[in-house]
Amino acid sequence: MKKLICIALALALCLSLTACGGGNRKKTYQVGICQLTQHPALDAATKGFREALEEAMPGQITFDEKNANGDIATCATIVNGFVSGSCDLILANATPALQAASSATQTIPILGTSITEYGVALDIANFSGTVGGNVSGTSDLAPLDQQAAMFAELLPAAQTIGILYCSGEPNSKYQADVVKAELEKAGRTVRIYTFADSNDVVAVTGQACGENDALYIPTDNTAAECTEAITNIAEPAGVPIICGEEGICAGCGIATLSISYYELGRTTGAMAARILKGEAKIAEMPIEYYQNPVKKYNPALCQAHGITPPAGYEAIG
Amino acid sequence: MLSLPNLLTRLPAGVAQGIVWGVMALGVYITFRLLDVADLSVDGTFATGGAVAVMLMLSGAPGWAALLAAAAVGVACGLCTGLLHTKLGIPAILAGILTQFALYSINLRIMGKSNQTASVKKFGLFWETKGRGFLLSSLYIPQAILVGLLLTALVIAALYWYFGTEQGSALRATGANPHMSRALGINVGNMKLIGLALSNGLVALSGALMTQFQGTADVNMGRGAIVIGLAAIVIGEVLCDVCFRKGANFAVRLAFVVLGGVVYYLVMVLILWLRLDPNDLKLFTALIVALFLAVPHLRAQRRESAVRRRTAGKEA
Repeated sequence: MKKLICIALALALCLSLTACGGGNRKKTYQVGICQLTQHPALDAATKGFREALEEAMPGQITFDEKNANGDIATCATIVNGFVSGSCDLILANATPALQAASSATQTIPILGTSITEYGVALDIANFSGTVGGNVSGTSDLAPLDQQAAMFAELLPAAQTIGILYCSGEPNSKYQADVVKAELEKAGRTVRIYTFADSNDVVAVTGQACGENDALYIPTDNTAAECTEAITNIAEPAGVPIICGEEGICAGCGIATLSISYYELGRTTGAMAARILKGEAKIAEMPIEYYQNPVKKYNPALCQAHGITPPAGYEAIG
Repeated sequence: MLSLPNLLTRLPAGVAQGIVWGVMALGVYITFRLLDVADLSVDGTFATGGAVAVMLMLSGAPGWAALLAAAAVGVACGLCTGLLHTKLGIPAILAGILTQFALYSINLRIMGKSNQTASVKKFGLFWETKGRGFLLSSLYIPQAILVGLLLTALVIAALYWYFGTEQGSALRATGANPHMSRALGINVGNMKLIGLALSNGLVALSGALMTQFQGTADVNMGRGAIVIGLAAIVIGEVLCDVCFRKGANFAVRLAFVVLGGVVYYLVMVLILWLRLDPNDLKLFTALIVALFLAVPHLRAQRRESAVRRRTAGKEA
């Protein structure tokens, strides 16, 4: 009896394999999505990716969407699952997801999105704009020099500026270093404040608010999760914050140079369609950027700090 | 450039945060000092408390009810650890780790994602909203300190009363000498179960308070909670011994545990103010806890060897 069941199961397994083979002939593709955590920016990028790819290749794509809930070890587990399930393409949403994916496979095409700087994320010296191999994607880097210039536009009197981010995120450090250099060029004093995890956020933000006229927060995932805690400290202290992206700005900032993560996801989806259709080789595709960043402001917090944004700023709705 | 006024304005927030962690330290005190069990499930229960509280608030429950529900769920988590330990014979430390590990998934299930935010601006405070809103928030520090102190006073009073009852005394006896307690007819397993449940209930309550305090709950908020709890206990005990020698009343000892939590966060504020790298904070905490836990042991050893030397001298 046991043997019979064994044979039946083995047969079923074989059948399911041939079923998969049949699927391939009909040109359906398996796309694995690994997203680091939930916050508005990453969610929007995944949504844009799915919609654009679905529109480009209707009915041909099966998505396997997994979220690591902020745990980097889980990213690796998810990606290894995709690789052993022989996915046709992997979308890595946020830097740790990309790092996990690129170490899990050298063959399956990997597209990144919401990655700030591929050179930093993948440790590439003299990064040229094209990763090569099986990796490409889109970057969420809004021009950092323009973000630094927003301090001059909105907060001309702020002399000392603190930069706040999570020490566990290399991309945040990269942005912090660039913005620091830009601000120092403009003659301001800049100090860096890092927290290790969400338990330290209140204390570190308090320290930063106590010592500075204004703060800058880059596109940092931990900060994006803790905007409520940050604004509870910064607002009563009268310290305005300029942020690297819209989701953080809506929670605790006065203004940001906003890129649309949804559009970024759509661009990535279009890249995926070109790869799956065989129109482009991933090794030759350069990293794509968001073309038209928009200056946005947070009406409630601008009012609280008595700041009137100049023309050209859109309200975050 | 270190400015003293800056430090002074930062201290109240540290005090408020310390009081909230003090409630958590009281929970750890029950298992670690009274029961003599190292319960690691608290890292998970702390986040569970936060998760339950934030979800209930978001679904419209009043703030105080969210706190009570979080504490109740914490009690259930503690029972899990207790049953794994007493009924299934898994060593206490491992039972705690298992619960903590499982709670990570459960916390994600409760919140539906890795973090959830409830804004005090939307919900208002307790006394502004006829008892519906948050009990404390980092937006209103002085009020948060006041509420925190009232709550800890209530908790300490309740614990003082309970550990004076027959059952509470039996629980303490179990921790002091399990073999003797069993010989006296105390059900040691049940006592451990009660202690773990009580402890985790307090830890979850603290997690829920922390969630109201900073407006966010996330799955990683409990990471290392046990170490902060232990730090609060050892700091509190040292301060208590300095002030009262060994003769402090039980309620005073509990109050000093909360004070230990406050001192811990004040030291953290001080460290940030001195511009030490906050990345090293966790290392310093571990070193301080290790040092304070080692001192009584090393002292006893020295006393012992001194006695031996004296007796050896007499024989010669």
